[in-house]
Amino acid sequence: MGKKLMSNLEGYRSLWPRRILVIFSSLVLFFLTAPLVILIIQSFTNESYLSFPPPTYGTRWYTEVIYSEDWQNATFLSLTIAIIVTPLSLVLGTLVAFGLERGPKKGKQTIQAIMISPMVLPHIVLGLGLFKIALQFNISDSLWAFVPAHLTITIPFVIVTVGASLQTFNTSLEEAARSLGASKFWAVWYITLPIISPGLIAGAIFSFIISFDEFIITFFLATFQRTLPLEMFSTLMYQVKPSIAAVSALTLAITAILTVVLMFRGQVVGGGKIIK
Amino acid sequence: MEKIDNNKISSWWLLVPTSFLYIITFFIPLITLLVMSFSRFESSVTTVGFYLDNYEKILTDGITLKIFFQTVELSLMITLFCLLLGYPVAMLMRRVGPKARLWILLLVVSPLLTSIIVRNVAWVLILGRSGMINDLLISWGLISKPLPLMYNTFGVVLAVVHVYLSFMVLPLFAALSSINNSLEEAAASLGAKPLSIFLNVTLPLSLPGIMAGCTLVFILSMGVYLTPVIMGGNFVVTLPMLIEDAVRNRYNWPEASAMALLLLIAIGIMIVISSSIQKWVKS
Repeated sequence: MGKKLMSNLEGYRSLWPRRILVIFSSLVLFFLTAPLVILIIQSFTNESYLSFPPPTYGTRWYTEVIYSEDWQNATFLSLTIAIIVTPLSLVLGTLVAFGLERGPKKGKQTIQAIMISPMVLPHIVLGLGLFKIALQFNISDSLWAFVPAHLTITIPFVIVTVGASLQTFNTSLEEAARSLGASKFWAVWYITLPIISPGLIAGAIFSFIISFDEFIITFFLATFQRTLPLEMFSTLMYQVKPSIAAVSALTLAITAILTVVLMFRGQVVGGGKIIK
Repeated sequence: MEKIDNNKISSWWLLVPTSFLYIITFFIPLITLLVMSFSRFESSVTTVGFYLDNYEKILTDGITLKIFFQTVELSLMITLFCLLLGYPVAMLMRRVGPKARLWILLLVVSPLLTSIIVRNVAWVLILGRSGMINDLLISWGLISKPLPLMYNTFGVVLAVVHVYLSFMVLPLFAALSSINNSLEEAAASLGAKPLSIFLNVTLPLSLPGIMAGCTLVFILSMGVYLTPVIMGGNFVVTLPMLIEDAVRNRYNWPEASAMALLLLIAIGIMIVISSSIQKWVKS
């Protein structure tokens, strides 16, 4: 009987079409990553048109993009917004995460759901509403509109990542510091924050990347100003030139560097937490 | 005892700055849209009031409703493809060792952190009329005219699936990895076939992940604007494109607001359906 059970188990382990799973998953992962690799290869073409594989290679289009005033302005605006948004989003989101974690259990879930609800609202709807408000305050097409709008969609990510870190944080460490005479603020500053730093870093990087890539809300709010995604969009609608591949590869590089930082901090490895 | 409780309540002060921001940038805009959707728009003048004109127009003009259902259909299609492509990957991630898992996770998450517009550009360069695939097929003499790979539903679905697949894999993986291996092994040792184990043990237990992933991808797909514009040209029209057109080209805020609410209602229905399925399965 025991032998029968074991052989059934062996059969399950080996019979399972694992090879099919591996082949299929490899194809899916190829589908996910190949377009970006192809894009990068194409961006190094020396021709005036895009083709794969490029007949000749060079950095001609990178030079053109880097010296182009339009692209410079767009990059500058995007970076300005992201650099203002990231620290603000981190501070505001962390305060919320602390408030939720340390507050009463009762009602916590409801309040948390409200605080992260901008996450599930389609950006087109949020953009539409924000545009109306911005017009009323007469601040559309300025940082006064872009920054609060971006904050609304980045803060929920900080709440989730920092919240996940706080849940696993052992409060007795903080209490120990306080019992030794540290004030509440300094106990959090010197003990809690360093320990939950992976969550803070993940939140900051998410904020930066989401703000840097945001399209539709800014599209509504902007009339003359152009962020990098807006500039890419209008160029793309006009003509598919190699410069668009070069810009894409450059933005890819910026976000990839941040991704690597994120990966090394091991936060995403925490599993679906970030999404949940 | 009471003091501690007060202390806890006072923690909620930390929510004040963000709540203040949300009131201005989230709640007021949403309420404004709600009010606008019941306003009247006549010869470029908006009259606030309680009119059902916009909803009546949306439901009866024959076009908006059709495009709405097209958007729902497109989103369901995208969700289904994400599930079919994502489930095996999540399953493999659960079965391999920690190192391989990390690598797969890295590959799955990396597109998530690259710009949507960059990924769309990549597909334009691959699928376009003079894109990579058509170029290669023509130069190999397999086809004489470029294949229509873009500017149709195929191109849009492909590109959106590429953008949102990560959102499906992560919750699926989270749900699958919380299933205890011994449950499946117990079924196997009693002689159940792999397929029946999958259908009777693994699949039902991973349902929360499936529902979470599907809801997320469906919501995201309903609001997608950029990819249909780039990949669909004017051949694939979605509700968000109509909203954008109504506001930016026709300044018809009331109609745009009503369409936005239609979008929110569809999303609300999807959330209700998925949560009731989950409750039903639990009981």
